[in-house]
This record gives sequence, C-alpha cells and structure tokens, in this order.
Amino acid sequence: MADIAVYTSQRLLFGLSLLAFAVSLAAGRAIADPKPGIASPPVQTESATLDPAVAAANAEEIEADVSTRSVAITSSFTGIEIIVFGAIANAQPEIADAGDYDIVVILEGASERHITRKKNRIAGIWVNTQAITFDDVPSYYAIYSTKPLDEIADPFTLRQNDIGFERIRMRPVKGWETGITAGGLADFREALVRLKRDERRYIQDEYGVNFVGRSLFRATVDLPANVPVGPLKARVHLFRQGVLLDTFNTVVKLERQGLERVLYVFAFDYPLLYGLFAVLMAVCAGLLASAIVARVRR
Amino acid sequence: MDRQRSWGPGSDGPGDFWPSESGPKDFLVARLADCAGAMNFYLPIAEMSVNVFVFLGMGAAVGFLSGLFGVGGGFLMTPLLIFSGIPAAVAVGTEAAQIVASSVSGAIAQWRRQNVDVKMGVVLLAGGAVGSVVGVQFVKILREAGQFDFVVSLSYVTFLGVVGTLMLIESVNTIRKVRQGQAAPSRRPGQHNWIHGLPLKMRFHRSKLYISAIPPLVIGALVGFLAAIMGVGGGFIMVPAMIYLLRVPTNVVVGTSLFQIVFVTGITTVLHAAQNYTVDVVLALLLMIGGVIGAQFGAVAGERLRGEQLRFLLAALVLLVCLRMAWGLIAEPAELYSITSGVTGGHG
Repeated sequence: MADIAVYTSQRLLFGLSLLAFAVSLAAGRAIADPKPGIASPPVQTESATLDPAVAAANAEEIEADVSTRSVAITSSFTGIEIIVFGAIANAQPEIADAGDYDIVVILEGASERHITRKKNRIAGIWVNTQAITFDDVPSYYAIYSTKPLDEIADPFTLRQNDIGFERIRMRPVKGWETGITAGGLADFREALVRLKRDERRYIQDEYGVNFVGRSLFRATVDLPANVPVGPLKARVHLFRQGVLLDTFNTVVKLERQGLERVLYVFAFDYPLLYGLFAVLMAVCAGLLASAIVARVRR
Repeated sequence: MDRQRSWGPGSDGPGDFWPSESGPKDFLVARLADCAGAMNFYLPIAEMSVNVFVFLGMGAAVGFLSGLFGVGGGFLMTPLLIFSGIPAAVAVGTEAAQIVASSVSGAIAQWRRQNVDVKMGVVLLAGGAVGSVVGVQFVKILREAGQFDFVVSLSYVTFLGVVGTLMLIESVNTIRKVRQGQAAPSRRPGQHNWIHGLPLKMRFHRSKLYISAIPPLVIGALVGFLAAIMGVGGGFIMVPAMIYLLRVPTNVVVGTSLFQIVFVTGITTVLHAAQNYTVDVVLALLLMIGGVIGAQFGAVAGERLRGEQLRFLLAALVLLVCLRMAWGLIAEPAELYSITSGVTGGHG
C-alpha cells in the first residue's frame, strides 16, 4: 500500500510539474533553468529514500504532451510549430545526468499509397518509364532526437520501433514489370524519402530535442503549410544507453476549418455541383466584368 | 517573417525618417513585400499555399496579352501555371473555368451583333461535347499511368510549334508585302474543295453554306478534346479551320467560335471537377480577376499596332512557349524521380 501511495504522489507531483511547465510555455517564457520545486528535485529525493526493490519497480517513464492537440487548417494556414514537451519520471539519481537519457520524438501522418516514378531518356525525350507503388507509407514523418540516431540505439532496436527515415515502413506492391532490380528498389525508396524531404513532409533534426534541466525536455515540431490533413500519431521514445525504456503515445488532430473546409468538402463530396458552381462563378465574373467595363467606358 | 526594420517618425532621429542606407523606394518595396507576404492563401485543390498577388499578377499579365492579341490566353496561362508549380492536371482543369469567364462577355457581345451562326455553333458544340468527354477520360487514364505531364508538354510543343510557325511565316510575308507597297491579299472564299463531297449535308443559313455536318463535328470534337487535355479554348485551331476548311464568312467566325468555346470549356470544367477533382475555384477566381483587368489595358494597347505586327509578335510568343516546353522534355531533369501520393481514386 505504501508503495502505491508513493507512486501516486509521484504521479501527482509530475502532473503538477507538467502543468507548471505548460503554463510557463503558454506564457511564452523561455525556460532556461527549471526553478527548484517545479520539476524533478522532489521526485529525486523521494526515489532516493526508497529501498532498491521499490526503485526497480518504479522504472523510468515518460510523461509528455503537445502544446497544441488540435490544429485548424484554414485558408490562411502557412504552417505552424507545435511543441512536444515532457519529463522523465523516476529518473535515477545516480545516473540523472541528462546525457544518459535519450529522447526521440516522432510525429507520423496517416499511411498512404505512394507511387515513385523514374524518368528515362527515350528518343531524346525524358519520359516516366519505371514506377513502383508503395503501400502504407506515412504521408508525414517528423523525427527529432537528442543526438544522431545511430548513437542512441542499435539498428535492430530502431527498426523494431520504426525510428529513422531508412526504417520507414513502405511495402512495394506493384511495379516489378517495369524492370526494376533489387538494387533499383533501394534507389526508389531513397528517392521517395528525398522527395518527401524536399516537400518538407519528412523532417529530421538530430539535435531537435533539448533537455531543460535534468529531466524536462522539449522539441519544436514544424508542421509546414502542405502538411497532410488528418490525425498525426505522436510518439516519444525514452532510451538509456541503447535500451528502450518507455514509449509515450498521443495524437495531434489536424482539421480543415472555415472556408478551406467548405471548399474541400464541396469539391470532393459534391464534385458535380462544385463543377457547376465553378462555371456559374466564371459566367458571373465575366458578365460582371463586362458590365463594369461598359459603365467605365461610358 | 522578418519585421525587424523599424519605421515611423522618430525611429532614427530627425531627418532620418527612412531606415538607414535605404531610400523611400526601398522602404516602400519592403512594406509591399510585407503586405504581400501576409496575403498567402491555401489552395484547396492544388494543395499549396500561394501568394495571392503572384497569381493576380499572372492573370493580369496573360489578360493583357490576350487583350492585346485578341486571343483566349489559355495556351499561355496553362504553361505558366505549370511552370509555377501548380500540378499540370489542376492547371488544365482550372484554366478551363477561367476561359469560360474570359470568353462569356465576348460571346454575348457577338450574339447581340448577330455574329453567331447558331446552327453551325450547335453542330460544333455537339462534336466539342464528345471530344471533351473523351478528353477528360483520357486525362484520368494518363494521370493514373503517370504520363499526363509528358502528354501535356508534348501536345503543347506540337500544336504551338505548328501554329506558331504558320503564323510567323504568314505575318512575315504580309509585313514584307506591305513594305513593298503591295496591298495585303484578301482570301477569296467560295471555291469547292474535297469537303463538299461528304454526305450528311446541312444548310447553314447564317454562314450561307450548304456542306456536310461531318467536318464541323470533327473539328468541334478535336477542339473539345484539346480543351480537355491542354486547358485551352481552342480558338487557335477553330478559327483557321472555320475560315480555310469550312469557308465560313469571316464576320461570323469569331462569334460562332466564341459561342462554342464558352459551352465546351463550361462542359470541360464540370467534367474535370466531377471526374478528376482538379478545378481549384480559388485559383480560378484569382486568375479571372487579374485577367479581366489586364485584358482591358491589353485591348487599348492593341489598337495602336497593325494586324500583321500583332500576329508576328503573337507568333514569336507562341514559339517561345513552345521552345520552353520542348526544353523541359529534352533537357536532362535535375531530379529523375517523382512521387504521387494518395492515389486511391479521388481522395482518402
């Protein structure tokens, strides 16, 4: 019972510290140093007083959240930055040095079918001749970490958790008939990631997660203007010396709103009416213009 | 956005109203750039955030040229949209809507002056509707195969190359003859050609013609097809075809062709929206507004130039666009790969 009480009180303290963190973020202050009492110190004192068995039971965990859980995509949307922040619960005092913990923050869009095409020269003209269809490719993938991924964990662990551009799931389903070899397939995968990066839909910052003090961390995630609309899965992985300790999952909603939403729903759910509307608008614009011109000329 | 420039009275002491080392002009440019930067609009169909003024300006520039030369401007606008990063299919679908706007007032004016051969127009339109349906379906198939951009470029190179060259030769010949003091030759219609041997003859009273319905149907269909895949009105095919092949009197050619273009591009717009989801009304509206304003100035400027000079300039412009498109096909692209996402038929 005592263990549970301690555990609950820790949870509560962390809830409070997170709240304070969020409030200070909302106030727009940069947190250079966490004030004593806001973040980890109380917890460390508590865990220090615990006997080893209890400490083992209370393994490190991540508590995290995003600054904006719901982003409105309106007609004037030009991109937004959201902040993923959190803290490491039960940070071990003997290794509480922030350098020992590594955080990877990933935001992932819905999986979509992507076709990668390659141009080849035929009779002096560049034409798309080869194409591979990949299924289940994330439409958006932003990855931020405390240091380069290969220094955080071994490739196997990274692959198991879909961490890193090279390990993004993409299932080739069609296109072998266009004469693509196994080596060629790798080129197509690389090209897909490269083009997605050019579009700013795939983003990586190897030093994008910063520790604030000992156990608080934050990452600024860039959602560009062309971010695919839909829910984004956000996950935060906690590593220590190559071992995955905990993963935190949450969702960021991206929703079309206002005129943008009206037009999108109109165009895709009532395409025939939308087309007629476009023509009507064109006719009215043309007539209005000639009426105005006639009046001005007179 | 960088808004670090300080401005306003007293910002840098007396006599230094404008930010240091920059004159009033630089200052105004910076302020305008700030305003322009704030006027971004997310295009729902093209799926990109664009600057409103860029596309208003583009509409105005093409509108000016179309007013100057008395052409629709689709053959300039669609390539320009593609060059500026709008997906080719969206450029084509949206441009169809803009052509409706730019030709409807002209068509009504011609109608009032009774320069429209309605019967001929309806026959051309019947062919045009068929061509448009086939063309939009063709666009859909090509997009799925990833060959649409290529076919658009190839069509532009072919048609602009042929039309531009013919126009250039004709205008240069006319200019030379005018310089030599000869009167420009006027073509005399009326001679019979192979077209008069075809069956299904119809009487077109307004055009004073008794010819087979097949040639206008075929011409209409070709123009409708090109309207659907190239995002043009098709006047550059329609007008010469009516004059030289059908021998329609010149006073009804423009009116009848405009009559057909309004309806065919209208049908094409609806079909593109319904089948390919590629009509962006926001983009279309920006182009329409810019185009209408530009066309007025262009028409005024055009009155100062001679017909053959105008045709020479137009031919040069047409060939320039053609060469730019051809370069895109021949030059080795910096990026050989391209991606398309979410192709699950319409939207997810």
